[in-house]
Amino acid sequence: MRKLVVFTLLAVMVAGLAPVAAQGPHITLWHIQTSGVGPELIQQAVDRYMAANPGVSVEVVPLQNDPFKLQIRTAMGAGDPPCVFPSWGGGPLYEYEQAGQVIDLTDYMMADNYVEHFLPASLSNVTFDDKIWGVPVENTAVAVFYYNKDIFGRYNLEPPTTWDELVAVSQTLIDNGVVPFSLANKTKWTSSMYYMYLVDRIGGPEIFQAAANRLPGGTFEDPAFVQAGEMIQDLVEMGAFIEGFNNLDYDTGQSRMPVYAGEAAMELMGTWEIANFKAENPEFYESSLGFFAFPAVEDGVGDPSNVVGTVGDNYYHISATCEYPDEAFELITYLIDDESVALRVEAGRIPPVVGVSEMLEDPILQQVMAMVENAASVQLWYDQYLPPELGEVHKDTMQALFGLEITPEEAAAMQEEAVAEYFGR
Amino acid sequence: MASAAARRQDINPVRKWLRWNEYTPTLVLFLFPTVLFMVVFVIWPIISSFQLSFYDWNGIDPTRKFIGLENWARLLNDNVFWRAFGNNLTVVVLSIAVQMPIGMALAILLERGGRRFNIFKTIYFFPLLMSSVAVGILFKYIYDPSFGAVNGLLKAIGLETLKRNWLSDPGIVLYSVIAVICWQYIPFYMILFLAALSGISEELRDAALIDGATDRQYYLKIAIPLIRGTVRTAVLLSLIGSLKYFDLIWVMTEGGPSNASELMATYMYKKAFPSFKMGYGSTVAMALFLIVMGIAVVSFYFSRRLETEV
Repeated sequence: MRKLVVFTLLAVMVAGLAPVAAQGPHITLWHIQTSGVGPELIQQAVDRYMAANPGVSVEVVPLQNDPFKLQIRTAMGAGDPPCVFPSWGGGPLYEYEQAGQVIDLTDYMMADNYVEHFLPASLSNVTFDDKIWGVPVENTAVAVFYYNKDIFGRYNLEPPTTWDELVAVSQTLIDNGVVPFSLANKTKWTSSMYYMYLVDRIGGPEIFQAAANRLPGGTFEDPAFVQAGEMIQDLVEMGAFIEGFNNLDYDTGQSRMPVYAGEAAMELMGTWEIANFKAENPEFYESSLGFFAFPAVEDGVGDPSNVVGTVGDNYYHISATCEYPDEAFELITYLIDDESVALRVEAGRIPPVVGVSEMLEDPILQQVMAMVENAASVQLWYDQYLPPELGEVHKDTMQALFGLEITPEEAAAMQEEAVAEYFGR
Repeated sequence: MASAAARRQDINPVRKWLRWNEYTPTLVLFLFPTVLFMVVFVIWPIISSFQLSFYDWNGIDPTRKFIGLENWARLLNDNVFWRAFGNNLTVVVLSIAVQMPIGMALAILLERGGRRFNIFKTIYFFPLLMSSVAVGILFKYIYDPSFGAVNGLLKAIGLETLKRNWLSDPGIVLYSVIAVICWQYIPFYMILFLAALSGISEELRDAALIDGATDRQYYLKIAIPLIRGTVRTAVLLSLIGSLKYFDLIWVMTEGGPSNASELMATYMYKKAFPSFKMGYGSTVAMALFLIVMGIAVVSFYFSRRLETEV
């Protein structure tokens, strides 16, 4: 009897070690489209791919946004990343490329002019060394100001087009006991939107490009960064932001609650917020929601048509350890073929393909797309453009800047110091 | 024969334990899985993160850059780390100072109440049954400056001057979170003390009462000294738990705003993961390990001595 027990235990242990025999090409796909219809958008494409390629099996693994950032790095570090996975392009992707973790997709993209399927602006975040490292798929998202039309109407306010007008609108609201801006800044990247836009409006997109890429003369201590910090702190000091904003959590909706309650009149946020408004408070979305572009700054050299955001949002990549890159690339094309594009538009998204503007029916999305098409430049979010380590420094600096714990000069110096140390110059 | 006799008389427990006998194969077989898991999941990670603390590594590069003691030198001059260490000490002191007396008071109350109070035993135990993440999110809403229950209550009873931005004011955020930590862990110590108090024999109490002791004298002079072993365990658990505390802080503040509620463990996580400075993150982890280890050993030693002296 005792021997039997021991034997059974041993058998179980050994069985756990035996590899599962694989048949035919097997592709693992990770994605982070977990909210709303996201999972179905991915699954329908995978199902159609598998129906067309009966020999290939695809394993779909959905992951939450923030845990994903961790798991993909861990999987790469352990030498076992999935065949196909998403990213936001920019700095983290550049690290993957430098570490030899992703494969060059240029040949695939160039074959049959497949690349012309996509909006040109969507490829800039995944093009390094003149090679394309990812396929843009999910969405177009830029930051705009949302405002409550009822509140603006009550005090005869117009959507501002310049910063001075925005400050004047804020003052009127404060005088009437309404908080101008809702902000949930525990999440930190939320406040970064003000800073990115102000720097862009004051100095143009080249200022950040030069500072982040260590081009000659580029520095985060450029007057444009300092001035942006000063303008932000002026707003904070006049009480323009919702109480306790520095530890409200965007992910649990704490920035939208004051908007729905009519306590705050405006919010600067990415266009994904439209879908949140629509889902959480259809009444507010139908009757009260308006939006306007980030206003121009007087004396600023930046083109006021510039936007901050992303054309593409999630890009898909093939890892260097993938045994079946041809199959993997074909799978990715199913994610963004005509059928998938139509489904994404229906779900309120703007996939980054040519001709998408004619497909949009939602009036707000149409206007967003017009903004993106007319934009002189699209600045990717700083925290996605920069390497992860510097992205964190930037976000921490923003929280301290908005909390009035450091001066604009200190904020500029802290970022410059971190970037200079990282790049060694 | 002589050696066999000597072996029989050998009473050194370690040597006796180590000696090969008929039970040894079974012992090894049964201990093997545990030891294997300990080595793979505890000892090996400690060794390898100690090793990592001498490297500069972003987590995915095939090569790790050896930089010697640079990470450790940086740690010694890292204001944020020392601030986090200070915050940890605040958590230690307040946890022990608040949780122990209240836990003890509740335990005594429940013990005196007997069966009638059983319902309270269940109610008081609730916070401990909830997951920390749920508690954290719940209290984030409770502390919300505009919509939260705390400020709402203060407003309702006319104490508007006491309204605060509980989680975004750098001066009070740490105390706001410690209050929640205490709320969550008091039931644990309550149960621990209650179990110990119930273990004291009825005759002792009867004897004390016959001798004219008041309830107060009974608990302060007899019952609590009798369960000092349990109290010591509770203090040590609270001490070690507070030094490596992570979950509620992470859920409620992520160490913010601007490191005002940073703890060593949250700082370690931030460096190792969102920033992907694996080397420096490991250095913080090792420092945390050494600090907890050091303080635990010292306090274990002293509290033992204290106990034998009393």
